[in-house]
Amino acid sequence: MDDLQAWLAECYPQSVRTAYLILGNRLDAEDAVQESFLRAWKFRDSLSKESSFKPWLYRVVVNTCNSKLRHDIPRREGRVNDVNLVDIATYDDLPGRIALSNDVMSALRDLPVHLRVVVVLRYYADLSEREIAIAIARKQGTVKSRLNEARSRLALHPALRSESSRSSTTSKEVTG
Amino acid sequence: MTMIDEDVLINALNDVASAFEISPDATDRILTEAQANEPPSRSRHVPTLISQPSRGRALLVAAALIVIVAGVSVPLFRSEGNSNKIAAFGPLGSRHASQGSVTTTAPPLAISGTGSAAALLPPGVSGKTLNGTGLTQVSANALKTSTSLKIESSGSIALTVAKGHVESAFTRLSKLATSDGGFVDSTEANVGSRTSGKFSYGTIVVQVPQRNFAKLVAQAQRVGHETSVSTSSNDVTAQYVDLQAHITALEASRRQYLVIMTKATTIDGILAVQSQLNTLQSQIEQLQGQLNVLSHETTYGTLTVAVSEVGHAHGSTPLTGFSKAWHDSVSGFISGFQWLLRLAGPILFAVLALGALFTLAKFARRVVRRRRL
Repeated sequence: MDDLQAWLAECYPQSVRTAYLILGNRLDAEDAVQESFLRAWKFRDSLSKESSFKPWLYRVVVNTCNSKLRHDIPRREGRVNDVNLVDIATYDDLPGRIALSNDVMSALRDLPVHLRVVVVLRYYADLSEREIAIAIARKQGTVKSRLNEARSRLALHPALRSESSRSSTTSKEVTG
Repeated sequence: MTMIDEDVLINALNDVASAFEISPDATDRILTEAQANEPPSRSRHVPTLISQPSRGRALLVAAALIVIVAGVSVPLFRSEGNSNKIAAFGPLGSRHASQGSVTTTAPPLAISGTGSAAALLPPGVSGKTLNGTGLTQVSANALKTSTSLKIESSGSIALTVAKGHVESAFTRLSKLATSDGGFVDSTEANVGSRTSGKFSYGTIVVQVPQRNFAKLVAQAQRVGHETSVSTSSNDVTAQYVDLQAHITALEASRRQYLVIMTKATTIDGILAVQSQLNTLQSQIEQLQGQLNVLSHETTYGTLTVAVSEVGHAHGSTPLTGFSKAWHDSVSGFISGFQWLLRLAGPILFAVLALGALFTLAKFARRVVRRRRL
């Protein structure tokens, strides 16, 4: 049981936040991660000593999230994102934070699940492409192409178009 | 190709993900549950869904049995259901069942439990914030108990009247509708080939308040000699309650945003909140529109009455020669097609059952692989 305690201390918060970004709802994310940890603990013997723990755990989390997205969530109507606006409002840059957070969540929600997962694992969970490949049980090349497609789609998303054009202008200015 | 900047994405995702606190009790709950599920003496055995080959076979056989039982029982239940419905409709159903042309559906006796009244919040609004005021947890049950049954009713009747009496039948039907508090939705009358100057057949659609629908059906049958009667009712209470719950939750969110608006001090801040308010407002109006449509449909029942003169056969005359041959040929074609269609049912069922078995087997294999994690 000490091992599980160590897992939870090390990975629980980030797993919940990762699941939240994939599912778009905090309660669903907490459910999914609780289920994932219990499942990972139950099948802990299947984790070989050579393989790294983090991608293996994320594989369980991603599978659980996929299962929720396929079976549980579509059966409920009107499930929406529950970012706490008040917490965001405590930041210094209130308008910018609210707008960007809403835009990012909106753009993420519109991405297909397989692209959303790789974006979240890469840019939030900070997994390498190799680790993501383990987590989603696909080849590394697939991960790379999904990341490229996801970034292109995000740049073209109406909510983030201004953000991407601003960043491209800034980079042009820097190179110019 | 334009791509979003990685740093922007990383910062934004971090901001969004860190916008809520992690519940401190969650890890304790997981530990407790893991302890509860832990076997007393743990062996080195790796639990898997299919530990022995025979178990997998048993699962497949069970899945196949379920498919076959479902395939056989669904049509049985359907036929049983139909007979119950006719019996439940009472005198009208039994009276016209004997004529072999009635299709009736009894109105449900209880509110069905389908549908969800989960609170609908707009993107970016905190569940926690609204929980503080107790507004997000809209209770579907509470709404259901406070909402009476919402039933959509519709029906159609075919009547024959004496020659030259189609117009008078229309007039009587219009009067019946207006006297029952309803109105005439549309009428269509046609002059047949056998009569000149007078309408020989036509259709009138009337709408009356739900409470008077059954009365109108009974009255309309007395206008002429009915050749067929068909009525149906649909319980949309769950859908109605869902819409109401969504609207209530959205209005609660809108009020919260208005409170936040008062705290915003900069123009950008006000604009950001205003944008959310506009989105909410449009959602509320859209749902309100749907609610209004549903409300109208459940307030009024629609009855379509087809009226025709006695002996009117919509312009058909006894066929002879080529036209008879052509008619027989078309009839033969239709009969052949019907025969093929009848045969297609069992074949389609067999194909679907085999497909379902194949899919189940594939799914079971995938589950086994996943469970081995």
